[in-house]
Amino acid sequence: MEKNTPVAKSARGGKRAPVALLGYSLETMEAAKEHNIPFVAVVPEGFDIALKEDGVDVVTWDFYVHNQNSDRLYEKLVERGVSHAVPLYEETVEWAGSLNTRLLKDPRAFQRALLFRDKAMMKRNAQMNGIRVGVFEEIRSREEALAFFEDINEARLRLQEEAPEPVHLKPLSAAGSVGHVFVRSRQDITSLPDDAFPCLAESHLAGQEFSVEAFIHKGKIEFMNITEYVHLGYSQIVPETPKLSKQRTKIRKAIEKLMKAFGIVNGMIHPEYFLDQEGELHFGEVAARVPGGHIFELIQRAHGFNPYAALLLCSDPNTSKTVLDRFFPKEKDHKIFAANLMVYPRKPSVHQLQFPKELEAHPYMDRHTMFEPVTAKVAERVGFGNHYGTVFLAGEDPETLRELVQRYEEYDFYE
Amino acid sequence: MSDSLQGSFKTDSQVGVGRQEQAFLHALEALEQATPFVKIKYQTEVIRRATDLFETDEGLQFVRGQAHRFDSAGVFHAGPWEHPDRLLPELVGGGLRAEGQYSALEMLSELRVLAIAAGDSPHPRFSAEQALGFLRTVMGLNLELLYGSETEESRLRPKVYARARRLLAKIEQEVSSEGLLEQVLDDIDARVAQRPIDVSLTLKMIDQAKSIQGDPDPRLAARLERYLKATGPPTPLAKKACSPGNYRNLLANATAHEIENEAKVVGKLLTLTGLSSEYHVAFLQHVLKNDETEVLAVALDLTEVGQAHMEQYREKVLEWMRLTIHPATSWIIYGFQQMLERMLLARPEVSDGLTKLINLDLCATAQQVTKKHLPRGTGITSNAAIAGGAISILGQPLGVGQGNNPTCQGARALSLWSLHDPGYLLQLLTSAARDDTVEFMFEGSPIFSKDIGGGVAEGKFDLKLDPVSRILVPHLDRIYDEMMRRAALRGEDPHKWVNPALYGRWVPNSLTSINLVNQTVSGYENFLRLFYATHHPLYDGGHDLVYPNPVGLLITNVHGVFLGYHAVSIQRVAKDEEGKIRVYFFNPNNEGRQNWGKGVEPSVVGHLEIPGESSLPFEHFAAHIYAFHYNQMEVGDLQAVPTEIIHAGITHAKESWGQAFTWL
Repeated sequence: MEKNTPVAKSARGGKRAPVALLGYSLETMEAAKEHNIPFVAVVPEGFDIALKEDGVDVVTWDFYVHNQNSDRLYEKLVERGVSHAVPLYEETVEWAGSLNTRLLKDPRAFQRALLFRDKAMMKRNAQMNGIRVGVFEEIRSREEALAFFEDINEARLRLQEEAPEPVHLKPLSAAGSVGHVFVRSRQDITSLPDDAFPCLAESHLAGQEFSVEAFIHKGKIEFMNITEYVHLGYSQIVPETPKLSKQRTKIRKAIEKLMKAFGIVNGMIHPEYFLDQEGELHFGEVAARVPGGHIFELIQRAHGFNPYAALLLCSDPNTSKTVLDRFFPKEKDHKIFAANLMVYPRKPSVHQLQFPKELEAHPYMDRHTMFEPVTAKVAERVGFGNHYGTVFLAGEDPETLRELVQRYEEYDFYE
Repeated sequence: MSDSLQGSFKTDSQVGVGRQEQAFLHALEALEQATPFVKIKYQTEVIRRATDLFETDEGLQFVRGQAHRFDSAGVFHAGPWEHPDRLLPELVGGGLRAEGQYSALEMLSELRVLAIAAGDSPHPRFSAEQALGFLRTVMGLNLELLYGSETEESRLRPKVYARARRLLAKIEQEVSSEGLLEQVLDDIDARVAQRPIDVSLTLKMIDQAKSIQGDPDPRLAARLERYLKATGPPTPLAKKACSPGNYRNLLANATAHEIENEAKVVGKLLTLTGLSSEYHVAFLQHVLKNDETEVLAVALDLTEVGQAHMEQYREKVLEWMRLTIHPATSWIIYGFQQMLERMLLARPEVSDGLTKLINLDLCATAQQVTKKHLPRGTGITSNAAIAGGAISILGQPLGVGQGNNPTCQGARALSLWSLHDPGYLLQLLTSAARDDTVEFMFEGSPIFSKDIGGGVAEGKFDLKLDPVSRILVPHLDRIYDEMMRRAALRGEDPHKWVNPALYGRWVPNSLTSINLVNQTVSGYENFLRLFYATHHPLYDGGHDLVYPNPVGLLITNVHGVFLGYHAVSIQRVAKDEEGKIRVYFFNPNNEGRQNWGKGVEPSVVGHLEIPGESSLPFEHFAAHIYAFHYNQMEVGDLQAVPTEIIHAGITHAKESWGQAFTWL
């Protein structure tokens, strides 16, 4: 059946074939609509009702179930003449890979997607391609975690009385920093719950952390944004400030190397790097989906194009060069910097929002998304998720921005 | 647009306002332009910016000025507030106090209704007149936001409350409070007519009604005055005294004639309203000091029967009154009157049961829940408070309520026992208060509530309840849940076995219910026929109901849309003042006034209801019932029930709750 399936392009007799958007992302659907890109939204059950009422073509799918019926999604999409699939969330990445293997006749698309989903495989692949990564190990038990921690400290020649060299533990497959544990002592490991294992252990990389959002088409970087992390999980600036900007050429080369290592031809990747004191780049990890932390919103504010549309255009192998050239601005042409600050309450119990008047009146203040707290009790953080809201800032001077987000990171927005 | 925005950044102080207004307009425009399926992405920003403006009267006014655009822009698109014609005024108060973005969203919704009421944005299914009615009801239900003072909750979240108050003031300003007092008094009348034991809400409403201005109608003033007298100083003498303590001093020097007069007034007010005050307590305490039972009978407005009963058990009555009636428990007075009228002390098990309660060694749990609800330094013991609660429930079997708990089972049981086996009720209460457990038999094996967990309420209770429910309901809830568990998976409604075991031998063993599997309905016609043949006096072969029958109802909202299941007890089936057959039932949620749509509106007064009963025409009740008990030996002629009546019932059901089900 696979061989006889017509290539989706012509499935609907001349009409443009729709793209399958995997995951519920209104921003992406909106971008598709604005650019006249026909689409099928593939969303979990419950998200479909309102969309259907508003006339969107919807397929419901449970991305967490993998079994012999998984093929049904492909069949449903082929019935609709879908050309290819674009993943919007971490959990949909391998689904897109599996679908594109057949839709785009790309035999390695699924395996490639798995590389993005398994952090150990991802690092191993990077390492084999000569990309500098930290020391890492897949570990199955608490004992192995302790051994890893000891080994790293031994290798670093740490003395008993010195603070130990920290290591990181993370789930093998989870979005960004969900489930991430920063280990500073043996105690940190012994107090972990049993279900924290197996996981990936890696050595600590120090330095300036940043992410890259590279929009790639036909194996070429069409646009490269750099997001500078002011404080990981709290605040970031788009694009990078002048000091990091000096490294752009080096970073672009690193991205090209990464693209080659992971076989990326069309789409967008979102890798994270550390720049050490000596100016060396260390690879952290890479994702092939919409980045978290509102980075796309910052890109839109700073560079003036819609990154969701960019993602769609670059994911389609048939997008023309003219369209792309018209779409993307020059990387250096941006006039302003955009920053955001993710807000977490700093008390165990909060009752109402107290937004500072002076920040409200600051010319760099764009908007914020905070309301009254939903429950008085403040939950513990998981990864860098469940922030209470985000403050968006923008302005011409990156140092003013940095100073603002650093100052208000200390501020208690809730009383 | 953005140019003007940039321009306004420059100067400081008063510019803040302009900027916020601009930002709100921007957000509203972005929402207006958004394609329908992405509206929800833009709604949040509109709500967020409105929240800023709600901080001031001017800001609120500004948002109000744009409210005619909200519906067409899609502020409520695809959400629960979308259709103004489906809004329920009783949800507004909760919405305004809600967390997150919802309090602001609720405010935007009311501003939109204001715009409809003012004729700024006509709505095809919600007229200006309807909008006005909605807003009036909202005001009536939220008097404390209009006139109330600070509460613990409002002090903790001052901004949310300030916003909500600002909105209510805005509504009052536009709609005017004309007619509000009458509406509130009607509401108080209806509550009072039901004679609940817990009158805290009624007292609050009376207090707030005082603040409603601008209605000079003397009839309304007189109606309000009666309630103020019942809950405050009842007579000129009491007014002069200024405080209950001083009132007692004045009474000590009053003539017999004066005392007689005071007694008449407080007694009449008690019977008229079921309410009492600290002045009433002061008066009774004065009378009790001298053991003057004749004056006492007047002050309690007893009938001859009640007075004779009191005289017969004089010593006990006086002792229990001294013990239980305190300023903090003035509401017990009405229960006392009613208990005496029921002549319950003639039953030794009641008389002994109450004596036992007063001398009981209380368990820690009972001590705790009782103490917690007594004001500090009241000088009333936990034992006396519990005994007083028992007296109330014995006097007002239909005044017991479930409060904010999913425990309609417990409330129904207490009411039934109080009516038909008060001795058993006291026995259970004694066990729970002393041993912290109650024992029930289920199909030959005992269940002790202390040995089991669970419960429909999962052990979380809102204890704004009468003192007896507070102690007993948590036990009953666990017992009920355990019985349901044991009777589950038998292929029939477990209530068939559980209800007779929980409530007792008054409940017949046969149960029938509509088959409601997987949102489908089958066998409805036979079900309905059986209900008529067992409950309707014309068709039940003379086997009229004797004891309350615990039944299940399908509840719908004012638009006839299915909401869920609810348990009530049929108390009796009888003719009303027009000779129409009605079902009189006990609704344990203590709020019998409902509107279930399609003309089905249970009434609580005016159709010969006993206080605490709700009633519906037989055919309306029949169309909402889904399960009831019956005695197989007492079924009338099924075929005698006219087919037209059954078909009318089926049609009604299908158009109401039946819309949510598939009919097989």
